[in-house]
Amino acid sequence: MADIQKQFAEFHEAIKLKRFEENSTLVEKRDIILNKLDAGLKKNFEAKNEPVPKYNKFNQGSYEMGTGIKPLNGDYDIDVGISFKVAKDDYSDPVDVKKWVYEALDGHTKRVEMRRPCVTVFYQKEGETEYHVDLAVYSDEECNSDKKKYLAKGNLNSSSDNKIWEHSEPCQLTDLINDHYSGDDHKQFVRVIRCLKRWKDNNFKIDGNAAPVGIGLTVASYDYYVPKKDLVDAFASKYNYNDLAALKYVVSRMINSFTTYYDSGTSSERLKTYLPVEPRCDVFVKMTDIQMADFKKQLNALLDALNSAEEEVDPVTACETLQKIFGDDFPVPEKSDTAQKKGPAIITSSASA
Amino acid sequence: MSVADNVPINQIVYARSNGGRVLIPEAVLATISPYVQDSWDKTEAGGVIMGRYIKDCDDIVVDKITLPMPGDKSSRFSFFRNKKSHQKIVDREWEASFFTCTYLGGWHTHPEPVPSPSFDDKYDWKRKMKQDVFDSDYLFFMIVGTAEIRLWEGNKHTSSITALNRV
Repeated sequence: MADIQKQFAEFHEAIKLKRFEENSTLVEKRDIILNKLDAGLKKNFEAKNEPVPKYNKFNQGSYEMGTGIKPLNGDYDIDVGISFKVAKDDYSDPVDVKKWVYEALDGHTKRVEMRRPCVTVFYQKEGETEYHVDLAVYSDEECNSDKKKYLAKGNLNSSSDNKIWEHSEPCQLTDLINDHYSGDDHKQFVRVIRCLKRWKDNNFKIDGNAAPVGIGLTVASYDYYVPKKDLVDAFASKYNYNDLAALKYVVSRMINSFTTYYDSGTSSERLKTYLPVEPRCDVFVKMTDIQMADFKKQLNALLDALNSAEEEVDPVTACETLQKIFGDDFPVPEKSDTAQKKGPAIITSSASA
Repeated sequence: MSVADNVPINQIVYARSNGGRVLIPEAVLATISPYVQDSWDKTEAGGVIMGRYIKDCDDIVVDKITLPMPGDKSSRFSFFRNKKSHQKIVDREWEASFFTCTYLGGWHTHPEPVPSPSFDDKYDWKRKMKQDVFDSDYLFFMIVGTAEIRLWEGNKHTSSITALNRV
């Protein structure tokens, strides 16, 4: 079989985002927002003659899990958790607490929005969103009698049913992903997640819920990934990692986990994948049945491409097949890079019959 | 598999005796197809096969073949390949490919559906394994019939010739 692990490694290098703290530009942008938040809270609360609420801040999301990839549209996202030292029971309306953040930051850029799970600050450059900062607002576990962390969910104009405190443990999720495997196995686990996320960006429309969410692909990989490596030297216990085999395994298990659910005369085929920490919800729940069907179709196309690349004799053709499905960052080697160098040949005349 | 009825063929893959594979890609098959002896007036044709020994495995990809050239002689039942013109191409392709596109063996046509080597073919192949200079343990010999293309692998050290099956 053509060995294209080198191309998988190059692809991963091309798409990966460093961990948040290693990216000085994004750290700087986040700190500007946090300073603005401090100043805004102070001003708004002092104006009301009320004590300024205290909070803990932490990074969350794919940066912290080390699963971030470079966005194709240039819209980087920064995920910050703001955990206020307040008990959720003291604030029956979680949107009241979200408003503290929203009001402290409103006007900081042209576009600051309260969205259901967070407050988002958009930065634009020449009309295009350059990056956005998602601030998720929590009630800190220290202040709640059950010692749990709660996410404030709801919009400014949501009905009261849609405004809730939801038990959520983002730091536990980060720990689970980071501790799932160790050493080189962990590195392959993360490469698989990043490959799937770039595949998603390259094959689905970005609007609405047409694409499976990145966290969903991360959790599916957490559920299904097992290390795949080929023994190259039994005496030295030397293995070569095989990312193609690892991806094939995760993708087939995802496809095989689609289940048909029957409900009073109707049926729908879905891949249900649950967060391994609170709120333990189905990460793909927002996708419609039609979007689910497309998700499955695209997974099958990905599996076909992986199988065909694995079967292919010529590594150049194998990588061309993978470039079609993963996008231009997947490298295609020169023919001469795929073959052994050979000495000169001298041919004699030939007579055949 | 028919080469005569102009049905497009993607590629052919043969299994080698050592577990590797030999790929004849579509582009190479397309170059050969006009020479298939599918009518009474077509004479035998042939040339040299070149390609890559893929790194870290025993797979081989055929990338180039030479076609009949001035100096070659061809009749309904025989083909004589002149070494000079074919050697030039072998040298040029080898240098242009950073010494990776190498001489792999030869091909010729037969006016029979499922070709097999004649006594003279086998004699010629064994002679080439001894007299040709090549940086490998094997030479490959392809005969293009009117219905099938078959490939044989010759071992330089044992002088044995093995027909390869398609994967």
